[in-house]
Amino acid sequence: MKGWTGHILRIDLTTRTHKIETFGEEFAHKWVGGRGFALKVLWDELRPGIDPLGPENKLIIAVGPIAGVPAPNTGKTVVAAKSPLTGGFGDGNLGTRATEHLRKAGYDAIIFEGQSDKPIYIYIEDDKVQYFPAEDIWGKGTYDTHDYLYKIYGKGVGVLSIGQGGENLNRYAMIRSLEGRAGGRPGIGAVMGSKKLKAIVIKGSKPIPVADPEGMRKLGIEDLRKVGEINKQTGWSIQSTTGVLSWCNEVAALPVHNMRQTHHPDAWKIDGERLNNARIATYGCPNCTMRCGIAIRDHEGHESELDYENIGTLGSNLDIFELDQVGSLNYLCDDYGLDTISAGDTLAFYADAIEQGAIKGDFRFGDAEMAKKLLGMAARRQGEIGNLLADGTMRMSRAIGHGSEAYAMHVKGLEISAYNCKFCPGMALAFATCPLGGHHKDSWVITFEIKQTKRDSYGPEKAAKVIELQRIRGGLFEFIVACRFPWIELGWPLDHYPEYFNRVTGLNWSLDDFWKISDRIYALMKFFWVREFPDWDRTRDYPPMIWFDPSNADKDGPIAGQVLELDKFNQLLDHYYNQRGWDQRGIPTRKTAEALDLKDEMAEVEKYTKLE
Amino acid sequence: MIKITVKLIGPLINLAGFSEKTLEFPAETTVEEVLAALPIDPQRPKIVTRNGQAVAPGEKLKDGDRLAISPIYSGG
Ligand code: SF4
Repeated sequence: MKGWTGHILRIDLTTRTHKIETFGEEFAHKWVGGRGFALKVLWDELRPGIDPLGPENKLIIAVGPIAGVPAPNTGKTVVAAKSPLTGGFGDGNLGTRATEHLRKAGYDAIIFEGQSDKPIYIYIEDDKVQYFPAEDIWGKGTYDTHDYLYKIYGKGVGVLSIGQGGENLNRYAMIRSLEGRAGGRPGIGAVMGSKKLKAIVIKGSKPIPVADPEGMRKLGIEDLRKVGEINKQTGWSIQSTTGVLSWCNEVAALPVHNMRQTHHPDAWKIDGERLNNARIATYGCPNCTMRCGIAIRDHEGHESELDYENIGTLGSNLDIFELDQVGSLNYLCDDYGLDTISAGDTLAFYADAIEQGAIKGDFRFGDAEMAKKLLGMAARRQGEIGNLLADGTMRMSRAIGHGSEAYAMHVKGLEISAYNCKFCPGMALAFATCPLGGHHKDSWVITFEIKQTKRDSYGPEKAAKVIELQRIRGGLFEFIVACRFPWIELGWPLDHYPEYFNRVTGLNWSLDDFWKISDRIYALMKFFWVREFPDWDRTRDYPPMIWFDPSNADKDGPIAGQVLELDKFNQLLDHYYNQRGWDQRGIPTRKTAEALDLKDEMAEVEKYTKLE
Repeated sequence: MIKITVKLIGPLINLAGFSEKTLEFPAETTVEEVLAALPIDPQRPKIVTRNGQAVAPGEKLKDGDRLAISPIYSGG
């Protein structure tokens, strides 16, 4: 078998033992890698109802066949677990040198199980796995942790670590890697923290198994060059993703004031142009020639690397329009190892709940200094407020009550990314049907919706586009494991990806082969949720109710007086379910599951709920 | 003559040398004609909105309209 190492490293943190397991072609061809591998392992090995922060949960690190191979944007790794934020399937990807090292060490995935009794970090070098006490770095942020480990192992190794957020089981803690970014929005860092695993250091020295190594190397290097060239010609990375802020502000889709407003006259103060002008450094993931990370100096003088989601959720959604202060909040999230989106939304919800009189408190929109303090309290679970904030918006709203659930901006417990869908039915559907909760990652349909459809349409074309994007973004790029940006931002044709895949594996697959795998993974992700919540119905796929509330309509601007309509949104959900072959509850039917070769999985889910 | 505020987004700012400007055009100028007056490759995929709403290239503009021109983004 070429393209896969065929090995999974299983590490038991309770006993500090490990073994190397093998897998064959059947598993590889059915689930491919990354999200596919992680999902299948979690499905097979987790009992429903387990505590996501207990020893029974498993932390999966998984790469795909083209990950780490020199080719456009292949430096990404998937991290996954049962989410402590949502209780459902949780994953994310991050750019890291660990990707290439993991493959060179001879593995396609690592499964961490059990729970260490003391803080440790792990060093993996090929077949060697060593366990070290982490007392010196426990309690430290991700920057210091990385520095500490780089001093010992050198800068060339791959490091994945958590900060204080993960240690203290903040439910939206992420895993960070300084050579790239952070990943695992639905609290995957908290799962790592619950296992008392502060960091993973990986170094590999074996060749990555590639069917056509010379052909792949030539093609990959040439394509990296071409992607870099297109990036230069189009100027995409002048502002990278941050240009989106101005666009969202123009079309009334910007999160402002806990998403109660959709545009703001001061938005320009934190836009991509200001950010580019303030740039002091540029960062990127390994194997990338379009490096999208724009670093600025924050209010305290740290270097802070920002993208659109950061300025949207930590800036406009909190009514903070001072760029250096947004930089500070972002730096703190990165250092504490917190998801910037969930952190920003959680603070915005807290300010809103205070403003509505649902809870007493001193925090106000626009107060950057207080926001910094609150982030520290949330990361460390300090006091009643710190604990409340550390649990995320859904749990906070349940604790606060007084109708605050309506403006708790999450789907399935995961806070909504920086697109205000007060009047964007298609993008609201993308959030509603994202298999993680309120994430933009799987389907970013908003530009299609505004440019190519009527904004007020709830028609089947929007459902079809959401599914098409999910197949590509949430499927293909998450299981072969590569960054989607060359395709979506530079128009790098999708046909390149089967070409890379085939050169690496020696197979002869087409994009159609990939779509079936995407659909299989989406069906199993839904089964994962249903097994956890057997009373599943479509209301779990609903976005926040405030988007349907006419009293929340904009008073001025492009969508004045308009909000989503629930009966029409239900029709849109019907289109989506029908096109996917799912029933009216949003669960794949028997026929669909059979067609996707999910017979065993179907039998398992039927122990909990009857399929149609 | 009519006054149109042109708002450019992302790298289009660097191509045109401004991010927002109010420009004068003859009455009944279309979206297409405004685009043609800018140093931006007509082949380049973009999204154009007029006062926040999608607009067709042939649509005639009115005095005071705001035209936002953006490359196609696909999200962070
Ligand atoms: S485009 Fe950005 S996120 Fe994607 S690989 Fe490059 S640096 Fe990483």
